[in-house]
Amino acid sequence: MAAIIATTAATPADRSAHPARRSAVAGFLLALPPVVVIALFVGVPVILALAFSVGFTGGLNTVIAAVGQNVHRADGIVPSFGAYGDVFTTEAFWQDLALTLAVTVASTAIVVVLAGGIGLFLRLQGGRLARVLSVIAIVPLFIPVVIASWAILTFYAADGFLRSLLAQFGIEGPVWSYTAVAIVIGSAWTSLPFAVLMITSGLQSIPDALIEAARDAGAGTVRIVRTILLPMSAVPLVIAVTFTAIGVIGSYTVPYFTGPNAPTMLGVSLASYFTSYNQPQQSLVMAFVVFLAAAGIGALYVWANFRSARREGRI
Amino acid sequence: MPRAISAVLRTTGATAFAITLLVFVLGPLLWLGAHAFAGSWTYPNLLPDSWTLRWWQTVFTDPALGSSVQNSLLITPIVVIVSATVCLPAAYAFARFEFPGRRLFLIGLFATNAFPRMGLFATLASLYYALGLMNTIAGVVIVQLLGTIVFMTWIPAAAFAAVPRSLEEAARDAGASRARVFLTVTLRLALPGILVGAVMAFLAAFDEAQGTYLVGAPDILTMPTEMYSLVLNYPKQVAAVFSILLAVPSVVLLLAVRKHVMGGQLAEGFQIK
Repeated sequence: MAAIIATTAATPADRSAHPARRSAVAGFLLALPPVVVIALFVGVPVILALAFSVGFTGGLNTVIAAVGQNVHRADGIVPSFGAYGDVFTTEAFWQDLALTLAVTVASTAIVVVLAGGIGLFLRLQGGRLARVLSVIAIVPLFIPVVIASWAILTFYAADGFLRSLLAQFGIEGPVWSYTAVAIVIGSAWTSLPFAVLMITSGLQSIPDALIEAARDAGAGTVRIVRTILLPMSAVPLVIAVTFTAIGVIGSYTVPYFTGPNAPTMLGVSLASYFTSYNQPQQSLVMAFVVFLAAAGIGALYVWANFRSARREGRI
Repeated sequence: MPRAISAVLRTTGATAFAITLLVFVLGPLLWLGAHAFAGSWTYPNLLPDSWTLRWWQTVFTDPALGSSVQNSLLITPIVVIVSATVCLPAAYAFARFEFPGRRLFLIGLFATNAFPRMGLFATLASLYYALGLMNTIAGVVIVQLLGTIVFMTWIPAAAFAAVPRSLEEAARDAGASRARVFLTVTLRLALPGILVGAVMAFLAAFDEAQGTYLVGAPDILTMPTEMYSLVLNYPKQVAAVFSILLAVPSVVLLLAVRKHVMGGQLAEGFQIK
């Protein structure tokens, strides 16, 4: 990014001579404010945190290093990986990581199945019911996450609806509140609208003619889905999957309210390392682990976008 | 005959899918909503033993809850306005200008989503102490602003990009000034997308609890942060009442722009171009 700023900084002198370059400068300047906000309030803290996690406790990190407990300090310019060692040798961390990944995979899978089902229902069959379902699936978008978590907790609690309903038939239902199942349900619930919007809009943009031609040629529903609908809506699908997974993997509110105390998702345990145990360095190590996983998923998203851009001849 | 059977199967399958989805999505909300009006509730009855409005009274007469409503209704609009001021020019630039770093910027804005929120807020603390932003309205506004930027940039950018240049050129040819073309053609056509972006930003800011709590507590409590303590300290029914109140602004706003959200403005905004 420094290189970009350097090249554009050189242009003002001759900008009246080149209209194209002038609009490039204008565009760059207009686009700058949100980037600066993000760089200042996300970029800088993340870099500070990275330095702090390997023991550089000077500068802006002084306060946090003085307040925190169990802080490993770097020896001059030689970084210390003590905090990483602390975290990676803790049994609970690996359990939390496993739970985090399992919840992410499970809830993403549920979201894709539900959203895909609605999308296909709407695309292939249509009708009133399909439209109603696609509207209902958007409802969670209206509801703050705190409420959603609370609602799901009460719904699947020991005296909740599920167990009350099953009790009418003399069946002893499961208690899902404060278990990983509730986290999966809650995460899927809150992520559903975005995936539905992405996937239905992707499927709706596929021309009718293609599907009808395949039908006329004798293709069954499964074949149409596999050879036409799936490949043609691949990009919105990948976007839905990556956004859902990234949202779930770093989530805090849903697992905090609905999940068990231990093992819990890393989002919750890094928060309690920070606030309850007062071990900021170890907390940040966990944050970087989650970040690495999310960045891996994010790379998939960027790749899918570039692929579609290239196919449409935009680059 | 097999055709008839498969038709029946298909209908049954669709019905089962519809019922599952209905219960999955609406069930928890209705169940919680019923608690707001429930006197007492004996397991395993499907309805409360008695109905009452006294929980509503509890909420409306509690001064702490009232001030959190006020804080939320004050801070969230500020966040949306700041976010619009910072992001909308950028959205226009992303849609209409080719400049070095454009794609890097777009992806960089997205990358903020990949870092776990809680970790980010933990890292923000040092910077906030250094800048004196802890426990201030400005600090809360900034923390909420961070979550709105992607919505306020990407969705309007897609809307600006979708305005046909030929229309703008036609208006220019007809003698309209540059500013007039922008106001009457470009801005007008992109307005639904901008509205969807603004509503999503409003919801993101209104909903933000963890960062607001870390920065604002105990002086500045908003409705979602108040909800955390409510859940622990009050009967279930009070939290249910508060939930309904907390959902009102979102529902009203989203109903207002529902057509555009469903029409693909949101989906369009999340594809980098």
